[in-house]
Amino acid sequence: MVSAGLLDALATGLVTGSIIAAGALGLSLIYSIAEVPNFAHGDMITIGAYLALVFNKPAAIPFLPDSVPLVGTTSLAVAGVLAVGLGATFSAGYELAVFRRFRRKDADLITMVIVSLGLALILRNAVLFLAGSKNVSYATEPVRDVFWDAYLTGFGLTIQLTQRQAGDIVTLAQWGYAWWLAAAILAATVGVGYAVYRERSAGEGFDVVHLVDPRVLGVGAGLATLLLCAYLLRFHSGVVADPLASTRVGTSWKDGTVVVLTALAMLALNVLLKTTKLGKSMRATADNLDLAEVRGVDVDRVQLVVWVVAGLLAALAGVLAGWSASNVNPNMGFSLLLPVFAAVIMGGIRSPYGSALAGLIIGLSMDLGVYFLPPSLAVYREAIAFVILIAVLLVRPEGLWGDV
Amino acid sequence: MTEPQPAEDNDQRVATDDAVGTDAAVDVADDAPNRSSGVDDALLAVDGLRKEFGGITALDGTTVGVGRGITGLIGPNGAGKTTLFNCITGFLEPDGGQVRFAGEDITGARPAALAQQGLVRTFQIPRELESMTVRENLLLATPDQFGERLTGTWRRGERFADDERRARRRAEETAEFFELDHLLDEPAGNLSGGQRKLLELARALLTDPDMLLLDEPMAGVNPSLQRKILDRIHDLEEQGYAFLLVEHDIDVIMEHCERVIVLHRGEQLTAGTPEEVRTDERVIEAYLGGEEG
Amino acid sequence: MALADFLITLLTFVAVYGLFGIGLNVKYGFTGLVDFGHIAYFMIGAYVTVVLTMPASVQGYGGIGGFDLPGLFGALFPGGALVGWFVGIACGMGAAAVVSLLVGVPTLRLREDYLAITALGIATILTAVFENEEWLFNGPFGVRSVYEPLAGVFPVSLGSFTLNMVVLGGLSVLTFVVGAFLLIQYARDADVRTQALIGVATAVFVLWYFVQPLLGGDMVELQRNLMWLFDPTAGPEGGLDYDRFFLLFSTALLAAGYWWVERTVNSPYGRVLRAVRDDEDVPKALGKATYRYKIQAMMVGSALAGAAGALYAIQLGFISPGQFGSTLTFFAFTAVIIGGTANNAGVLLGTAVFWIINSGTRFLNDFVPSEYSVQLAAARLMLIGALLIVILYYRPEGLLGEQEYDVGVDDGDAPPDRAVGGVARGGDGD
Repeated sequence: MVSAGLLDALATGLVTGSIIAAGALGLSLIYSIAEVPNFAHGDMITIGAYLALVFNKPAAIPFLPDSVPLVGTTSLAVAGVLAVGLGATFSAGYELAVFRRFRRKDADLITMVIVSLGLALILRNAVLFLAGSKNVSYATEPVRDVFWDAYLTGFGLTIQLTQRQAGDIVTLAQWGYAWWLAAAILAATVGVGYAVYRERSAGEGFDVVHLVDPRVLGVGAGLATLLLCAYLLRFHSGVVADPLASTRVGTSWKDGTVVVLTALAMLALNVLLKTTKLGKSMRATADNLDLAEVRGVDVDRVQLVVWVVAGLLAALAGVLAGWSASNVNPNMGFSLLLPVFAAVIMGGIRSPYGSALAGLIIGLSMDLGVYFLPPSLAVYREAIAFVILIAVLLVRPEGLWGDV
Repeated sequence: MTEPQPAEDNDQRVATDDAVGTDAAVDVADDAPNRSSGVDDALLAVDGLRKEFGGITALDGTTVGVGRGITGLIGPNGAGKTTLFNCITGFLEPDGGQVRFAGEDITGARPAALAQQGLVRTFQIPRELESMTVRENLLLATPDQFGERLTGTWRRGERFADDERRARRRAEETAEFFELDHLLDEPAGNLSGGQRKLLELARALLTDPDMLLLDEPMAGVNPSLQRKILDRIHDLEEQGYAFLLVEHDIDVIMEHCERVIVLHRGEQLTAGTPEEVRTDERVIEAYLGGEEG
Repeated sequence: MALADFLITLLTFVAVYGLFGIGLNVKYGFTGLVDFGHIAYFMIGAYVTVVLTMPASVQGYGGIGGFDLPGLFGALFPGGALVGWFVGIACGMGAAAVVSLLVGVPTLRLREDYLAITALGIATILTAVFENEEWLFNGPFGVRSVYEPLAGVFPVSLGSFTLNMVVLGGLSVLTFVVGAFLLIQYARDADVRTQALIGVATAVFVLWYFVQPLLGGDMVELQRNLMWLFDPTAGPEGGLDYDRFFLLFSTALLAAGYWWVERTVNSPYGRVLRAVRDDEDVPKALGKATYRYKIQAMMVGSALAGAAGALYAIQLGFISPGQFGSTLTFFAFTAVIIGGTANNAGVLLGTAVFWIINSGTRFLNDFVPSEYSVQLAAARLMLIGALLIVILYYRPEGLLGEQEYDVGVDDGDAPPDRAVGGVARGGDGD
């Protein structure tokens, strides 16, 4: 009998981590450039999720004024895009109506915290007012999990894809890799990955700014090689009898999409920050606001962009979270707030990538924790994020990565 | 608690000056850190202190000895003077080396502990407590107040009242001396730049320190008050206080310091009497070599 | 429900949350510690006091508790039951202080925003533990058996209906007179803005409490409002019922807490706290062990929150982890900021304003169909969030601003200065 194990927990954790990372990306921008520890970020995520609901399933929102023009009920994908756009616009509103004014008054850090708290109260209760407190979910076709069962036998590694259809377990595909083949593929993976890393880090020096970190590129290249080889070389159907070890990972293309979209968002942000003039202005402002202003950076414009981008990312996180969990409720963002803050603080406020990576680690830890801990402690899943944060801050009060 | 004996230290100080004077010629060619007996026995001894900030070396094996009396610390911008202050007084943790105060190793000790031992510093940009009045800023400085303990403030009593009155008198006297007495009930946030500097200095003096590290105390203060303050510093020096003064105004240094230490690129370039330092070619070059004095 | 009863419930709330707010003021207003986890100590105080004073073997309760301190002490000497309860609340305060010490040790070295989020996290974890571990304090089912000190004594009657009415009614009128007098005294020295505020608030109160029933011709109501201490339905001859007593009891404890905090901050100790708040490096550079001060402020503030929690439990008669969400801390912050940070009177004012808005608008519930109750509650909270932002922008020092400090030592003869000069400093004095 094959059962879900460690790998499955890792896969789940990857999805959780991606959503936290998406939230952390936006928060770290606001934290470092706008210098606002934004306690409203969780509720910005919630608003994003509900905005998608407005277009996708308007009936779920009883208090929506009928005058709001709707394109009927749209697919989740389209609704998601609209939600992200609207979320970004609302976010611009927060900056213009609230935070800009406090910045003009030179408000200190704690004032900004409490202002963001006030905003959080307003946003959360606006959602409660318009949509009520019920759990709802998007109108989208349900996605069924595919089980990836891996068997280690005398033959080698065999992967069997199964799925529950109409009550029965149906085998969709079965791929076998003999030991020598598996070893060869692994070697190729490591080789390619390392070679790419070496090649990209050859021009090392202070003046070289990599668009993508060589390590990330190396890992990415290795993974691509692994997947490509596994796909191309899957001619043998393998053996599943008498396995030495076996495990099951349950995923769906939903999970894959979440991870991929988050990675794309990170990449896009990376391109924005490192190649565009605006991005450079943003980084300059993060370093030293006054100095950037003296050098001619339009600080107001930069701040507006920061809030727009952060709003975009928060809304994305909201839609992904709502889709992934098949559940949208007014508290969803707030329950993400603490892990997201933990990720940003752990990752070093200055670094969006550090925050995203920390977010992934936290997500993985949460689901791995649930896997390893006795069932009675599984309810403390969210507390795991906190425990990690506190442990990290005890050892390194300035965060893991510091300034990147 | 440190208990310095003035008589012996004065002899030490004289010995230090002599040692530096005669070794000056040797020091020129000597690249090793200054290990003359002056450093080992000085009231404040900095030995091979290192501090880096992500690739930039601010202090490069700095070895400096400060004895009793008024010592000046000069050097071009970026020489590491404020970093040195911060490392000595515990606001920064050095990456290597040792700091000794009255013979005890105080490397990396916390600022509060050092202040209690008698080593106090002022800040280059004055840090007054904005929401509190000038009086309250000054009252804070008097050490060993019974009312500053939680139990003391709950029990109150004779000692509580006595300590408070003593603190008040000291605060008022000091305020009067620094010509701040008309501002005693003003929130410190309303003070002008020069007044803040005075408050900074007054507050540090009220802690009754053995050695005071002053970071550019004269900047922005009018000349007659400068004169008055320097006279007071001399008075205190005669009573046994020690001062380490960072100043950019070379005239002040030349006129009032018995000994001057020159810092350049994170280490001691030379040290000696004002006259010796002023005519030292290396010092002149350091100041003219692309950096402003 | 008569207005008087409503007022009594409201005022009790204000007293309890006022104490909670004063504890927060010690941490945040005076010392600058942003403790977003303040609610945790409220919860701990409530739980510890309740389980210590609970009688043994309460049905339906599966957690730790039932130490029956009032019973224990009551058996030793007359009046011991009350003493037992006070021991219970002292333990509640102590437990809150100890937990805050444990929380403070790792977090107080962090910078302010990290402190805020870690404090919030720890409080969230604690609430989750209380919620999920049934063996601890009955988990989500909470505790229904809350010991009410002196409950058996009430309702108190002086013998006859007339006597009760005259004495208690007279006392009630006296409170109004004294209150008005004190208010006028305070208003006389205040600035125009404050005077206007007081004027408007008083007018609104008089209209709502006295004029309204008068206009409605409801003389019974007017009489009940006027003689608020007297409850004609309490027992056969009317008298002082437990709710009214509890209001007085809570107010007394609030006054004690208020006095304790005032004594603490109107002193050199308070100066150091405010110095830590303004710029921690300065008192450090002057030789003060700032970390110790922060820990102490945490403990004192948390102990007060614990006391408030114990009172809260009695008022509600039932506690469960769900009641102690982080929103309550944010409400307390709002109250403190509205009324005046670092101003104990301001905290009380802010708490009163906050809860008047909160429960005052509950009146609107009567005009709004019940299916919209969620919406009404949400609208109320949106208003509070907006109010917070507006106050922070236009009047960040709150309605009353920071309070004045008076150490309470007159300018008498100062003793001669101890050893002058650094030379002899080491050997003399302490």
